[in-house]
Amino acid sequence: MKRMQSNFIFFLIRRIINALVTLVLLVLLVFVLIHVILPTPQAMAKVYIGSQHYTTAELNSVIERYGLNEPLYVQFFKYVIDVFTGNFGLDSLYKVPEMQLLDKFIPITLEFVLIAIALQVVIGVFAGGFAAMYRGQVPDWIIKVLYLVAWAAPVFLLATLMQFAFAYDLKVLPALNMANPVLVPPKPITGYPLIDAAIEGDWTYFDSLLTHMVLPVLAIAIAGFGLTTRIMRSSAVEVFDKDYVKLAYMKGLSNGKVLFGTVFRNALIPIVTLTAIQFGFAVSGAVVIEDVFLYKGMGFFLYQSVTSMDYVAIIATTIIVGISVIIANFAADLLYAVVDPRGKLE
Amino acid sequence: MDIIKKALGFRGDVDAQASTNRSSQNLSTFYYLRHKKEAIVGMTIITVFVVWSVIEGSLQLIGDYLRKPSLGWVLLPHDPIASPNIATSLLPPSLSYPLGTNFEGQDILSRLMYAAPKDAMAAFLVVVSAVIVGGLLGIAAGYYGGWIDEILMRLTDAFLAIPGLILAIALSILIGPGFNSVLISLTIIWWPVYARLFRGQTLTLKYRGFVEISRLFGVSEFKVLFKHIFMNAVDPIIAYMALDFGTVILTYSTLAFLGIGVQPPYPEWGSMASNGLSFFPRAWWYTFFPSLTILLVVIGFILFGDSFQDVISGRVVD
Repeated sequence: MKRMQSNFIFFLIRRIINALVTLVLLVLLVFVLIHVILPTPQAMAKVYIGSQHYTTAELNSVIERYGLNEPLYVQFFKYVIDVFTGNFGLDSLYKVPEMQLLDKFIPITLEFVLIAIALQVVIGVFAGGFAAMYRGQVPDWIIKVLYLVAWAAPVFLLATLMQFAFAYDLKVLPALNMANPVLVPPKPITGYPLIDAAIEGDWTYFDSLLTHMVLPVLAIAIAGFGLTTRIMRSSAVEVFDKDYVKLAYMKGLSNGKVLFGTVFRNALIPIVTLTAIQFGFAVSGAVVIEDVFLYKGMGFFLYQSVTSMDYVAIIATTIIVGISVIIANFAADLLYAVVDPRGKLE
Repeated sequence: MDIIKKALGFRGDVDAQASTNRSSQNLSTFYYLRHKKEAIVGMTIITVFVVWSVIEGSLQLIGDYLRKPSLGWVLLPHDPIASPNIATSLLPPSLSYPLGTNFEGQDILSRLMYAAPKDAMAAFLVVVSAVIVGGLLGIAAGYYGGWIDEILMRLTDAFLAIPGLILAIALSILIGPGFNSVLISLTIIWWPVYARLFRGQTLTLKYRGFVEISRLFGVSEFKVLFKHIFMNAVDPIIAYMALDFGTVILTYSTLAFLGIGVQPPYPEWGSMASNGLSFFPRAWWYTFFPSLTILLVVIGFILFGDSFQDVISGRVVD
């Protein structure tokens, strides 16, 4: 037992070091890409100014202020420190520190993406489990056709079709925005709109947030459940062939009990790793979906920055997304070690 | 001595066959694929898409070369980039315009067919270059191990951390909009998954008998790496590649939807679908047919890749 614990601590330390190295490499990667594309200090300075109209004096003062003339390794060192202290510079459009904007937008996206991923895992796990139970029969085929279409459909198509069907045609759900714009939003305490509304006890706003969230969340979940279903199905098919499942059937347990009691517990393990990977997909899906539903989170902000060529914002968002994916992977690794007793703690 | 023993011990028939009988193995793979309905549907879609893209693509290239762009649409029913015409604006599907017309009065079918080679080329270039880069780095990491492995894998993790779509947005904005910048940015970001896959395959292969024996007999390192490791590692990767062609097309059209990529007046499936959305549902054909095209092509690749994976992993029984 003691040996197990020290193994786990060693494993934890190793994973933390790995994650930190990956973080620094991520910043290096972005830094290198920027400097390959914008090789001269002048080109960099133009990006920081963010408009086509500038004088040479302005250009020089920007080069001076951001130290763009210094050797690359000095610039890189400063850049790493800046990133880890959350200093991404001034937004060239809003003229406020980038971090202030991201502070506002990240929780909004994180909130609905996490809900969407939870939903997607639930749908995928059940669909995959049922498909494996009725392997080669009609339910298996129906599920396969559904997830293939959902997987191959472009996200923007899913989102707009749902918007037309449920919001414009049936008029059961709101089509645009995060909440009813007539309502006064509660004071931002945590930044997460749902939690804030709950803390303030503003249940009408909470309700409005929820109904506005349904369509974007469904769109992301439907776009992503295909892969979960596929992996869950093949992993459950393998489990169904195991002797302990046959034993469970022989003990006279019903289909449902075998599926939920025995198969799910064992087939779920690959889903843990997969879900961390899908976090990245969901965030990029959010860029499109927030644009379609005018859901003003990070994806919408990124899309706006693209149309207004706001480089500082784009780079900051890219790094932040990268960092959050690294954290998600780290969490998945830990969870994996906890869930799967066979998992090797390297 | 230990190595020799191990090598001789490993020299079972299975291992020897695994490395030599590749041609017969490939034949049986395709034999099974021919008898799977999904695979046939997938292969049909892919064949139509690829053959048409090659024909139309070469016509466009020749047309560009001879400075006669109209050569690019000799096979199409209408001029895909005709100047805007109010009289034919937003016509529903009919005999002369099978899939209707867009707001500018251009034929949607012609535009879809004209845009196909670009999608095919993007998918092909991005995936093939990703296999080459990922293959080199992944095999090196798996085969040499140690520090090389550690560094290469952390680099791969760093690349994998940024979702493809977002890095592509950032890069193509920095490089400047256009088809080429999308191609460049997708190529830069697409290899890490392949590096992971190749590394995993290499790790399982490098202690197999035929690899150790070839090393023992002094076969050059390059030949060991290419003939025994790469060629044996590539099967599951081909299955993944087939799926990936579809993913590239999806990402590419999503970028076009966001306004990054091929610039007007030239057609692109994703941007056609996105332009059509403002006329939905009144002129439903405007966004419906481009989206359906993307969906069909991607499903074709997924079906093929899926059945291919089933066959090579031995799950072909049902």
